[in-house]
This record gives sequence, C-alpha cells and structure tokens, in this order.
Amino acid sequence: MTIQQNRVAYSPIIERPKLEWPNGARVALWIAPNVEHYEYLPVQDGPRNPWPRTPYPDVQQYTYRDYGNRVGFWRMLEVLDKHKIRCCVSLNMAVLEHFPEIAQAMVERDWDFMSHGIYNTRYLYSYTEEQEREFYRDNIETLRRHTGKQLKGMLGPAISGTAATPDLMAEAGLIYHTDWMHDDQPVPINVKSGKLISVPYSIELNDSPLFRLNYEGDYFAEIVKAQFDQLYKEGAESGRVMCIALHPFLIGQPHRIKYLDDMLGYIMSHEGVWQTTADEIAEYYIDNYYDAAVAHAKQFSA
Amino acid sequence: MTAQRRPGMDHEHHDWSPISTRGVLRWPNDARVALCVIVTLEHMEWDPPEGSFSTDVVGGLGVRPFPDYARYSHRDYGHRVGIFRVLDTLERHGIKPTIAMDAQTAEEYPYLVRHCLDRGCEIIGHGISASQMISSNMPVEEEADYIQKAVEALRKATGAAPAGWMGPEYGESAHTPQLLAQAGIKYLCDWANDEQPYPMRSPSGEMYALPSMLELDDVHALWTRRVTVQRYGLLLKEGFDALYRDGQQNGRVLVINVHPWLIGQPFRIGFLDDALGHMVRNQGVWSATGSEIIDWYRTHQPGG
Repeated sequence: MTIQQNRVAYSPIIERPKLEWPNGARVALWIAPNVEHYEYLPVQDGPRNPWPRTPYPDVQQYTYRDYGNRVGFWRMLEVLDKHKIRCCVSLNMAVLEHFPEIAQAMVERDWDFMSHGIYNTRYLYSYTEEQEREFYRDNIETLRRHTGKQLKGMLGPAISGTAATPDLMAEAGLIYHTDWMHDDQPVPINVKSGKLISVPYSIELNDSPLFRLNYEGDYFAEIVKAQFDQLYKEGAESGRVMCIALHPFLIGQPHRIKYLDDMLGYIMSHEGVWQTTADEIAEYYIDNYYDAAVAHAKQFSA
Repeated sequence: MTAQRRPGMDHEHHDWSPISTRGVLRWPNDARVALCVIVTLEHMEWDPPEGSFSTDVVGGLGVRPFPDYARYSHRDYGHRVGIFRVLDTLERHGIKPTIAMDAQTAEEYPYLVRHCLDRGCEIIGHGISASQMISSNMPVEEEADYIQKAVEALRKATGAAPAGWMGPEYGESAHTPQLLAQAGIKYLCDWANDEQPYPMRSPSGEMYALPSMLELDDVHALWTRRVTVQRYGLLLKEGFDALYRDGQQNGRVLVINVHPWLIGQPFRIGFLDDALGHMVRNQGVWSATGSEIIDWYRTHQPGG
C-alpha cells in the first residue's frame, strides 16, 4: 500500500475551496507547550529506549527535563501571559497528578488540553488494541477529574502511535490528531467510526528538534517570523494554520526566553490573527468544512 | 574490485577529464551558466517492502519505530502543499522545472502529474519510492526490473518515456548507468563530480552525466549538514557568483536539486526565491531543463 492505508485522501492545497476563519482571520495561531514528565526509572517495553545514554537512571537527562517543570514552565508562563496567549497544552496527563501547581496554573488560564500520553517515557508502539483503548479511557478520565474538560485531541506520547491509533482515537470520542506534519490546513483523516481530523502541529517550528542541534533562540525567532510572514500572505486567499511547539525545559532557559517574547510580540502585532487552540480549530473545521472536504478530495484519488 | 594503481578512473563509466585542460563549452547565446532546477517529488512509503534498502531517509524527527507518522507525513507535505510554492517560485523567475518523479507519485498522484505537465515541466525518472533505493544489494536482474518499472510508470502517467534519471537518494549500483542506458535513459543526475555535463560510456545508446551540485541540494545542506536557511540562501548565491565568473571562460552548469517537503515549507521558500532572483537577474544565464541542456551539449562538446 503506497498511500498510508488510505488514511488521508490526497488534496492539493491550491485546489481546495477557500477556508474562512472566524472574523476573517488569515492565520489560526496555536501555541503548544509540551508539558511533560519523563520517568526516573522507566520500563522499556518496546523498540524505543527512553534513556539511551546510560543505564537507568540518567540523572543528567532526567533533571534537564524536570527543570522545565520546576523553573522553565514558570518563566515561559510570564511571557505567554504578557502576550495574552491561551495555549493548547500538549500534556503528559501524569503531570496533573504529580505537580498540582502546574495543573492549577493551566486551569486558571483556561488553556485547552491535548493529550501527549501519560508519561513521555511510555510509548504506544507495542500496545495491543485493548491496551490502547484503556489508554484513551485513562487519558479522558484523568483530564476530566483534574480539569473538568473533555479530551478532544492527542499528540502521541513522544509522537508514538500504532497503525490503529486514528481509529481508536475516534472510537474514544477524540476529534483531532496532531502527529501529522503534512499540511498548513486541517484535513480529514479516514477512520472506521466518527470524525477525526489532523490539526497541523510542527516539528519545524519546535524548540526540541532545533535546540538538540546547533541552532539557537535567535534562529528560532527568525524562522517563526518568516513562517508567519509567508502564511499571513497566503492567508489572505485562504486560511492557514500556524503552530509553535514549545518545551519549557528548552524555551524556559534563561538564555532563550527573550526570543519567545520577540516572536510572539511580532506575530501578535498583526491584525487578522486568530490566536486559538487546536480544540477550537478542530471544532470549527468539523462544523464548517469536514463534509465538504471529504467530498472535494474524492476527485484527486488515483 | 579495488582500484588499480594506474592513471585514470578506477571504474569504466567515464574518462578522466580535469576541467583545467578541457576545451571550451559554449552555451546558447554564449551564456555563462546553464541553470537547471530539479524538483524531487518522491513518495515515502508507510511500510516499505521487506528487504528494500534505504539510507536513513530523512524527514520527521529522524527515523523512529513503525509507524512513523511524523516522518511519513512530513514528506507528504511536499506533495500536498510545498510543491506549489516551489513551482510558483520557479515560474516567477522564468525557470522551467525538471521534476524527478518516482513511480509511486506517478501512479498515486495523477493530479500532480497533470499539474506538472500543464506547467511545462520536464519529468525525469526517480525510481520507485524514497524508501526503495537502488543499491548493490539488488541482483542485476532485479535492478533492471526496478528501472523498467519506474520508466514504465512514467511512460504510462505522462505519455512519454523519461529522458533523464535521478536515483532516489542518489542510489546506484556499479551497473546503474548501463542499465539506465538500456532502458532508454539519455542522461543521469546522480554523479556530482563536475560543473559541466560529460559523456558516460554506454554499450547501448548515448548516455550523459548532468552533474548536480551536492552541496547545494537542500536536503544535504539543510538537513544533513544543518546549515541555517539564511546561510543556505547565501550559499546558493555565492555558488552562483563563482560559477558565473568562471563561466565566462568556460561554460558552467548549475544543477540544484530541491525537495518540496523541505524547501517548500513556509519559512524556507523565501530564501530560494531570493537566491533564484539573484541568479536570473544576470545576463548570460540560460535557464533550461535537463533535456534542453543535454541536447545542446551533445552537439557542442568541448574536446579534452
């Protein structure tokens, strides 16, 4: 099978009907901090080793990430508050249980919550369908218990998944999946029951791949601005989605924080930006465009 | 076979020919630089067939366990979104694209085939898929069959057999140029060792190398080497400037291979646009497709 199990129908962006965001916005901007917890002594139960550098524990890497929850998150929050950003957090659900102050800070700000699994050291690769069903039940229940909110979407834990993930997400009542880096607009994902879409996340405008390599904050700010300029121009014709993905242990470092301030200041100074969440993008798209998009894409199939 | 210590190449595909002693190549209208942009449209398989060889085919967050949603879908961005930004950019600068298209793209994306043809692109062979490279792991009959399938897919989709070829991820065995010649291919872009086309030895029909500049390949620069996108734009301009200077004495070819999933991202496209604008502003730049360059070269080969 060449096209991924026919999960996503081919649809060239230039042929699609115009996508109109609320209030005629050109760009739907969502900010996705990945608020995570990595276990001190995880169990490797699949192909990926959570801490490949040393036998467990890897105190260097464990504490590097935990810094995000103790310090980085709070520094990042000051900048997000300054620009009045309402985030859609990509959340390891166990954070709600381990770190109540972080849970409270997110709830107080009325953020939306996208699952990023339970822990960032527990991947989906090896799950059976029944285990994965239980995983969604756990995610939904944990979020409801701590925030009162209904879970709507997921970025797989450490961007892991199984071939059945979209079907099982939809079965559990979720409406969006953000593991797809394939577009600048939401698009339907074919599932066995219900409706599921992808909301474009980013592994390009993302502090994690950038700062693991030899890029720094200034480069991040520059490419974010360049991305925004291009999408803003194109968004005059048809709406675009722009996501900025953050990790508090990286962007919350003292030497980087000013670049977050800089990029958000630049973007938010523009008219026509719908600063929103993946939850809201997904609901809006499903209500207004889903059925037409499915019908429209049929003409491009081989 | 290891190299024999004697003058010349350690293979039979082409002769040794240093550019310093080569005769002069003149392009049409005495252009200094023949500029060719190859746009690679390749499909990444969700689950490649067992035994297929690929290098750590880039994209996503690097190679992750199956199912690798990020890498697969990052590549598909090129087909859904990036290609149109790249084609618009080339069109704005009057550059007719040479599209390296794999068989899976030709078969599964009929819209893109039609779109590229309608825009006057040349389409050249690019194997079966990004996740199935040619390599010496393939028995020679299997390789011949692979090439035949790729050529046939393009003939069926476009109505014409491709004249040119670029292997997925520049993959070849030691037989590839000859097998391509047998399949009717006239020129090959995998060989990154010159700034002019050159003839390759072939038992069946003419075969030429149209060398691409590996360092200016966006995957090589932006992904493998992690050059910043600003620096990449400058790299393209500086590379062009030197070829333009040297092309006054002896014509040069500048073949740039770009990938829509990468250079077609919103924050990157402007740097390609800027660099190509810098190039075509100059007098004496001949923008041409691979076939146009090779057709000219066949009858205007420098001696030496």
